[in-house]
This record gives sequence, C-alpha cells and structure tokens, in this order.
Amino acid sequence: MADIFTLEIIKNGLVVANEEMFQAFARTAKSPVIYEVLDFAVGMTDSSGNLVAQAPGVPAFSGVLDFAAQEVIEKWENDLKPGDVIVSNVPYKSGTHLNDVTLALPHFEKDELIGIILNKGHWSEIGGMAFGSWNPNATEIYQEGIMLPCVKLYSEGRRNRDVIEIILENSRLPQYTLGDMEAQVASMKVASKRIHRLVEKYGVDNVKLAMEKLIEDGEKYSRIKLKSLPKGVFEAEDYIDSAIANTEKPVYVRASVKITDDEFVVDFTGSDKQVMSPINSPFPATVSGVRETYMAITDPHAYPNGGFFKPLKVKAEMGSIFYPVKPAPTSTDWEAIAFATELVWKALAPYLPEKLPAGHFLSIVATIIGGVNDLTGEPFAIVEPQPGGWGATSNSDGTSGLVACGDGETYIASSEVYEKNFPILVERYMLNTITGVGHGKYRGGFGVVRDYRILNNEALVTIQVGRHDYPPWGLKGGMPGPGNKVIIYKNGNQPMEIRRISADIFRKGDLLSILTSGGGGYGNPYEREPMLVFEDYRNGLITADEALHIYGVVIENDKLNVEKTMENREKNIKGDKKWML
Amino acid sequence: MRLGIDIGGAFTDLVAFDEEEGEFIWVKDETTPLDPSKGVVEAIKKSRIRMEKVDMILHGQTVVINSIITRNGARVGLITTRGHRDLLILQRANRRDIYNFTYKKPEPFVPRYLTFEVDERIKSDGTELEKIKDKQIIQILDKMLASDVESICISFLNSYVNPAHEKEVKSIIEKELVKRGKNIPITMSHEITREWGEYERTNTAVLNAFVKPKVSNYLTKLENEINNLGFKKSYYSVLSNGGISLFNFAKEFPIFSVESGPVAGVIGGIAIGEILNERNIIVLDGGSTTTKASLIEGLNPKVSSDYFVGRDKFNPGYPIKVPVIEIEEIGNGGTSIAWIDEIGNLRVGPMAMGAEPGPACYGKGGKEPTVTDAYAVNGLINPNYLLGGEMKIYRNLAVDAIRDKISNFYKISVEEAAEGIIKIANENAADTIRIISIQKGYDPRDFTLIAHGGSGPMFAPFIAQELEIGKIVIPVIPPGVFSAWGMLITDIRHDLLITNVIEFTRESIKSINETFNEMDENILRLFNVEEGIDTENVVIMHYGDMRYKGQEHTVKVFFGKGKIDEKDYTILIEKFHATHEREYSFRLDQSPVEIVNFHVVGVVKMQKPRIREIEDKELQLSDALKEERIVFINGERTILPVYERSKLPINHHVQGPAILEDPTSTAIVLENQIFLRDKYGNIIIKKRR
Repeated sequence: MADIFTLEIIKNGLVVANEEMFQAFARTAKSPVIYEVLDFAVGMTDSSGNLVAQAPGVPAFSGVLDFAAQEVIEKWENDLKPGDVIVSNVPYKSGTHLNDVTLALPHFEKDELIGIILNKGHWSEIGGMAFGSWNPNATEIYQEGIMLPCVKLYSEGRRNRDVIEIILENSRLPQYTLGDMEAQVASMKVASKRIHRLVEKYGVDNVKLAMEKLIEDGEKYSRIKLKSLPKGVFEAEDYIDSAIANTEKPVYVRASVKITDDEFVVDFTGSDKQVMSPINSPFPATVSGVRETYMAITDPHAYPNGGFFKPLKVKAEMGSIFYPVKPAPTSTDWEAIAFATELVWKALAPYLPEKLPAGHFLSIVATIIGGVNDLTGEPFAIVEPQPGGWGATSNSDGTSGLVACGDGETYIASSEVYEKNFPILVERYMLNTITGVGHGKYRGGFGVVRDYRILNNEALVTIQVGRHDYPPWGLKGGMPGPGNKVIIYKNGNQPMEIRRISADIFRKGDLLSILTSGGGGYGNPYEREPMLVFEDYRNGLITADEALHIYGVVIENDKLNVEKTMENREKNIKGDKKWML
Repeated sequence: MRLGIDIGGAFTDLVAFDEEEGEFIWVKDETTPLDPSKGVVEAIKKSRIRMEKVDMILHGQTVVINSIITRNGARVGLITTRGHRDLLILQRANRRDIYNFTYKKPEPFVPRYLTFEVDERIKSDGTELEKIKDKQIIQILDKMLASDVESICISFLNSYVNPAHEKEVKSIIEKELVKRGKNIPITMSHEITREWGEYERTNTAVLNAFVKPKVSNYLTKLENEINNLGFKKSYYSVLSNGGISLFNFAKEFPIFSVESGPVAGVIGGIAIGEILNERNIIVLDGGSTTTKASLIEGLNPKVSSDYFVGRDKFNPGYPIKVPVIEIEEIGNGGTSIAWIDEIGNLRVGPMAMGAEPGPACYGKGGKEPTVTDAYAVNGLINPNYLLGGEMKIYRNLAVDAIRDKISNFYKISVEEAAEGIIKIANENAADTIRIISIQKGYDPRDFTLIAHGGSGPMFAPFIAQELEIGKIVIPVIPPGVFSAWGMLITDIRHDLLITNVIEFTRESIKSINETFNEMDENILRLFNVEEGIDTENVVIMHYGDMRYKGQEHTVKVFFGKGKIDEKDYTILIEKFHATHEREYSFRLDQSPVEIVNFHVVGVVKMQKPRIREIEDKELQLSDALKEERIVFINGERTILPVYERSKLPINHHVQGPAILEDPTSTAIVLENQIFLRDKYGNIIIKKRR
C-alpha cells in the first residue's frame, strides 16, 4: 500500500485527469455554448456510481453526474464492456433538459470495472419544435427534441451507427451535434488514459484506494462544516409567476430544511404540481440546485464530490414541479431549478446573513434574437442570459450586473462584438437605476438596462421573464427589489410590457428593452450610513429625493447635511414613520 | 557596453556585458522602495562600471504592476459613449467563484461619478451615427477639473473601427486645457489597442491613465540620477511583449511595461535555448514564493493580449489588452509553507514565508516548516553553503518546525514528513507545467525544460521524471541575475493589433495586403518617431488571429514578412487548418475562415552577447567531489556524492543520483538520470537510457 503522501499524489492525479478532460472538451467542442458558456460538466465515479471527482462548468450540473452513472450501472449491470460508451438525456430520472446529453464511459482495468467516466454537455440542437430545442411555449417533452434513453453509442469500441444516424437525422445542426459528441468521447478517453497511467505506475489497488480516500475526504470535510451550521428546521415559501408557468394561478413552492449534527435534509413536499410549460425542474436538477446552496453555506471552494454531498438529502413529491414525470417539458428548467436553490437560501438567510444575501433577480430572462441577416443573407442567432442585481448581506451592498445563480463563469458578450456580428445596435447597456433596487441598511445590487435596436428588416424574438410578480425579497427589514421587466417598442415606439413571447416578429427600428431587477435590501434603510447614501447620490444611483424619503438623509447643494439628517431621522422615527424600525 | 537594471521587490540586480572584453559584471543590492532610483545609483557605484563606456541602459521594473496592485495612482476621469457609462462596473457579468453567493467583482479604477457620457455614436462599420458637440465636452471637462481629475481617459464604443471621435474629443480638451494653462495627460483607448471588446479595451486604457503620471515621474527621475553619473546615451524599458522600447514610449504608454520583470527571465531562457539549439523549450522559474512557467515553441515566445492582473481560480481580475508573453504562475516556491488542512491532508503553499523571516532553518524567527526546511532536514541542501556560505542554515530548527507541525501529527519520522513536503511541492510545480502544456494541447515530452531560480533546479528533475521530459538545462547564469541578464539580449520590439473581421478568401487578398500595409506604415512611423530608428533596420512580421466563421476562439498564424499572393493563400489556409487541429484537435475543411485580428510585429535585432566557452582545464570528476553526504530519499537514508558545479569536467557524463552545488543554487539529479556540464558551464540532465 502506498504511503499517505504518495496517496496524495495519486489523488491529485485523479483530480488532474478530470481537469484535463474538462480542458480537452472545452478546447475541442464545436459549439460556442460549450467553449464560451462552459455549459457542461465532467466527472468520474467509482464502480458503484459514487462521485469521486467532478468539474462542473455551471452550478446546475453539480448534482446530475452521479444520477447518470447510477442509471448506467443499474440498467446495464453485467453488460458493460471495455470500450462501451452510453448516451442518455431523458430528464426525469437522470437528466436536466434534453439538450444536456450525458455520455458515460465505463473504465476497466483488465476485466474489472473501476469506475464510470462522465461528460454531460449542452448540445446546441437536439430537434423539437423550435431551433435550439428550447421554447417557452412547449407543453410536453415531445416538442423539445429526441430522447436518448441510456443506450449504447459505442459497443466495445465500435460506433453504434444506427443510434448515431437517428440522432443526426433529428438535429437541425447535425455537423455541430456530431462534432460535440466526438469531442465528448475524445475527452473521456483522455481521462481514461490518465487513470490507466496511474494504475500502471501505482497499481490498481492504490488507485482504488485513492478514489475511496477522495470520497472519504469530501465527507469528512463536509461533516466538519455541517457542525458550524445552525441546527433546527427552517422553512421558506415563494411563488413562480403564472406568466411563465402557463398557469392561471402562480405556482406555489416551498422547502423545509432540517439540519442536525449529521444530516442536512431538504424537503420540497407541498410544492405545486408540474406545469405544462418547460420550467419544470427534473429531480437531479433540483438536487443540483440544492447542492449549490449547500456549497455556498459550507465552503464555496470545497471540492464538490460525492463524499462532500453525502450528508445532504433531498426529497420532492413525484409529479411536482421539482420532480416532474413524463410528459412534462423541461427545456427551460433553469427557472424552477433557481427556486430550488433560492428556497433553501431563503430559509437559512436570516441565520447566515454573511453567507446568504437577500433575494436576487433569479430569472435569467433568457433571450433569443434570430433571423436572416439582410446584408449577408446568412442566418444569425443571439442566445443569451441577462445579468441582474444580487441581494445585500449583513455587511455589504449586493453586487450589480451579475449573472443569476443558475449561471456561473458565463460571460455576457461585448456590445461591440454583437454589433459587428448581428444586425442590432446595443443602445443602452448600463445599471438599471430606472426601476432600482431593494433599499436597506445595505442595499441590493443594481440590475441592468439592455436595449437592443433591430437594424434588420425582420428578426424573431423569444424571451421568458420570471421574478416579475414576486420580486427579489428583502431581509431583516430590507426592501424587496422591483422585479424583472421587459418592454418592447414596435410600430413607432408604442411601449408594451411582455412576459413570454416566442419567435415574435420584430421589424427594423423596433426596440427590445430589458430591465432586470435589483436585488433585495438588508436591514432598515434608516440605519444606512449617511455617507454611503451620499456616495450613491454622488454616483447617480439614487436621487436626493430618494435619499430623503427612503433613507431620511438630507442632501443640499450636492452636499451631505449630517445635522439635518440626524434631526430628520430622529423626527421620523418618533413620528409616524416609526413602523420603519 | 550594455547595462541591465532589474528592480524587484527585494533586490535590485545590475548586469553588464562588456563586448570588448567579452565579460559579464553583476551586482546585487537591496531595493529602496520609497525611491527605487537610489538603490540603482548605489548598485551602479558598487559595480564600478564607467558610465561613459555604457551605450544603452535597459530597465525592467515593477512600478507599473505595483501601482495597480496597491491602487496607488492618479485620479482618473473617464469619457465614454451614452448608454454605456457602467461598462467598468458591469464588466462581463460572470461569476467566477460560482458557489459564492456573496461574490464581489473587482472594484473599477474610476468611480461612477467620474465617468461621463457623451452623446455620440459610431456604428460597427465605422460610420458616424451621431456627432460630437464641443459644448458638451467642455462641460464635462469643467466637472472633471472641479473634481481634481489628474489623468483623463477617452474610450468610445466601436473606436477600434473608427477612432475619429476619440481624437476629436482629445483635441477639444487639449485646446481647452492650454487655454486654462493646465496640463493633464490624456489616454485614448484606440492608441493602446485596436481590438474589439469595449470593457477590456476601456479597462486597459483606464489603467494606462491611472499609472501614467507616477511612472513617467519615476522614469524621469531615474534618467536624471543616472545622467548625473555621466551617462549620455539612451534608456530603454523592457516591455511585456519581451521587447524593449525607449523611455519616451514607456512614459506615454506605461501599461505596455506591466510585466516588465518576469518576461526578462523568459527571454533569458530563450537565449539559452538559442545557444544550445533547443527550439522547443519550457522555461521554469522556481522562485522563493512562486513558480512561473512559460512554453516556447520554435524559440518564439507566445505573445498574446489575453492578460489579466489579479486573476485566479476564483477572481476574474482586470483584463489588460496589451501584448504580454504568456506566463503561468502558482504559489509554490522555496519558502512556501507546509501545513495540514482541516481533514488532515498535507498541503504546500500558496502561503509563503518570503525572505523575512524566511524558513525556520534561516534562524530569523520563522516557525513554519517550509520546502527549504524539508530540503535541509533531508540533507539535500548544504547547511554551510547558502549564498556561498554567507548565510547559515540551522538544520535543527528545520527539524523542530517539521516535527512540531507535521510529523507529530502523522506519527512518522521527521525525514518521512520532509520527503512528503518535497513530493507535494514537486507535484504542485508539475501542475504548472501541465497547465501550459497538456491542457493546451502540447506534449511536454516534445520540450526541453530550462530551469532557473533558486528552487527551479530542485523541482526540475522530479518534474521531468513525472512528465517524461527527456532533457533539463540548468543555465550557467546564476539564478539571482538571470532576469537582468535576459534584458541584455532583448530586441527593440513593437506590436500592433487591429480587429478587422474579414473572410479569408482569394478575393480578399488585396484588402488583407492593404490592411497589413497600412499597419506596416504605422509601425515604421512608431519606430521612427518613438525610437529614432531607420525604418530599413526594422524587421516586420505579419500574423493573423484566425477562426472558423461562427466561432469565438482564434488561432495565431504567421503570414510572413510581406505581401501575400494566391500561392501563399493556399499555404496559409492549410497552415490555419493545421494549427487549429493542433490546438483544438479538429479541422473543418469546408467551413469559411475569417481573420479577426491583424497583428504586426516590428523588431530591431540587437547584437547578442554570447556566453563564452569555458576553458577546458581537463578536470577530473574527483576534483569536483566535495563530500559523500547522507541524505534521505525514497523513504531511506542513502549516501549521495555532492559535486561543486564549477569544478565538474566538461562534457563528461555522470550517472545520478547526485547533488550539484554552486554558491547560488543547488540541483538534484535522480537515480535514473545522467548529467554533464557543457562547454558553456550549463548543466544538462537527461533521462538514463
């Protein structure tokens, strides 16, 4: 058996193998959504499907790879062979939405199954009713593309041509689909080779021991962190806007979080049923959402493997929005996943205010602008999330203009690059001081205003706007944010507010104006340092009027009047504004 | 004679090469942080170099980067396009620390109230949509002056295509400043870079404006001080692209010198590669607190504008779009601290003890066990020979530190714990090489490892074994002055980069030639005006950053030195496909190809000092043998021969394992390796066949 330090080197070898798989895929994939947005995850499990190592590009993938490995092991049991590659994307048991396709490569040493290597990536096209395979108007999964139910893509090293032909025939962009798939397989082979080299150097038993140790380490660390969390049962509820859920009433969601010395149990029981809109969050995605908050409150820099998540249990009722069953559509699952993340966060925020801010703008306001460019005659498509405001914490203002919790190292494109590549003008891309933020002792961060002027004769716009009716929540007396808002100006600038449009026709000169919400505030605005209020005024983020009426701060001739501010705050607290404290 | 001055955080290094005598002179002195020019003058005096004999002074400094890191610079006012006032706050909106819900972005260098919008607009094709109004600019200037702005930055949307509005606003402000008898430096974004991406370009220009007054004062002061010593010729600053430029340019555009220090070490590595005819090299710099590495293919350093200050795994840092040699750095060096994490695993770094108080074995009060302590405990470094014996090593203090903090915890011997620390430090250093090679599509086995710095020669043999690198070179130039030595051999170099997206077809050859031609004229003008150089001495090279249409990422393709024709077109398109396949593993022969950036490099080659061959005194191996030392390696005590490096016979193969010492560094050779001292005095370590 290897000594502890050599074991440490083998562990690093496994983590590095995983990292190399991540880089290899990011480098070799054909779709920008992979190499720019990093909308993928790679990982490896032991032979029972326990996650040894993983590298998720976005947080929404932190909980799905183990489900996928377990499905492979369950379904194929003794029929797994060296050289096999299994493909799956069905959301309900092991997936997210159909675009996210998991490939699994069982790694063998001699005849022994050592583990499963996984790569889950967002394919740009998987068929269905709309280009790009996601559409806010879908009512059942059959409209969202082709389903791949955990079948063999390669058998003992041979490509299964039949399966591949079916996949390609169903894709609008078969070249991209094939390219991404091949890159996925190639990247998994990189990891497999590295593991094999470790086995050659240190022996199979030591490599298996290192895998075990990685999982053990994760669990041990997680339990240390669990000790420092508040104990008890914590609850939160919220609503998802009916406009995006395609329902008459808003969708009720709730979570209870029970924290004991050795468990962290999240129960979504009581949340509403699945809906006939693609916002449903498949159960593995729900688990991902919860894992994200678990990381945030324990240690955001912890290594997110199966051991680390062992104390965490997630429950949801089958058929609910957090555990939908066939034929529920799931292509815009990010909307409900974000609620899974935020409900746990909301339940615990009052007790962990340095780690958990007030509510954020949550809905990524996913936007598609597409068409055929008049100048070049070529098709174009902008597909992107929008940034917005995050909530305040007990010791700082929220961050402005940041992608939502479902996104991660996701870059918003430069306006110059957009204007060069697409027939649009980005007239405004700035902080949203129009609808503002949730004020408080610490205020929320600002959302953004983003105005796209269409320069093409015709463009099709798809957009889905959540967190409008139920805006980002405040904490400890902090005010809520304003909610997300989208206004379109067509035919000579007639403004119209919209919540959900799909392939809506815009013409030259029409304007799409997106105003994402500011985050929620923390604490009573009257307790905010007058100097911070003045800074916000000086920076043009609030007006003197707002300073006076919301914060009780007196600003005259561009100067802070401290004396009058004290007087005014005193008077209002004693008088009829006492409710504010 | 050429004189190189490298000012680092702790030491000022001075290196000179006397072409007549063929001799090197080097001097090390303490840096005087409050006024670095003082330390330089001291070092020059100490060196006894006659300044009348010096033809050029080459200077590398950390003033620019320190000014940024400590946020100690000018109060900048920013002028930008209406609707885009918040570009410095919004940045790219990414959450790099993806599980941290209280994530904060890097603080902009200009507050919102000093950012001013102008009603103007240029479209992406360069046409004007809305004109500048003089009156508005003057109002903005009034506000800036009322707020005591010390440096002005102008950055408009799409100025990378058409900079007319930036120029117009500058001239309005300049006139007005003259009228008011004021002098405030102005930076225009398009002068720094013509690449697209408004946030990155603006941030770069803002940082230039931020450091400009400070750097320009500093360089002027240095010139005055050295002039007083009798120097009459030109001063050059080391640029981040690995070239040099006259001080005038560095004063106007200090941001181009942001990585002035570390790149010189890479240039030194390239020079060694050139002398030994090793064209594919990895330069490893093992320092006291960090390890840096750079991959060089065909002796050409990778120069790109994908540079950031303060970026790491969890922080996005500040983008700076100037050409910089790509260098990877991690917190793992000779004074890195060994510690046990919460779950009981041994870690090394990124925290380090630095020079003060240093490792426990320095006896200066340091209590934490470091990598150097582990070497001392296991006998890998000589307790009486650090800095040639100037500094004493206390092995007993190292033993105490490792026993108290590490071996007691694991209930193992101190030697075993020390070996654990060495293993982890070596693994960390190997990770740096993995990042720049394997993860970028290169096979480290195709490269020669050039290892310098205090700990570079200690890491290198282990890294080579782990990554199956066949050959290591440990340069003859001492680690302390390697960077300063690198400066002496840099060429005068300028880079111009312009984003101009154009499909690469036979039909576009003409306009491609036109673009390059225009850029050639600009770069030659730059050499002429800024450097006072005859244009015929400038070697021009063309590069295209190319991609498959529809993709974001580009690869750099060398276009040659002049006009291209139809025959070149066929070669270039194949070169693009091949490069893309190497870097990204696939090629799309049917896909249209675009040039995104035009990149022109102008170089004036400097005469290179050669390393002199050592006189072969027909030494015997036994002359070099200092002692047979008991060391702890591979879990057991063994006896290793220790050789004095400078007494080794020339070109004589010796089997490892062994320890090689000289006054400034130690190298270890492993069991399955052989080594020799070449005719220049470099140590070459190879895998035993």
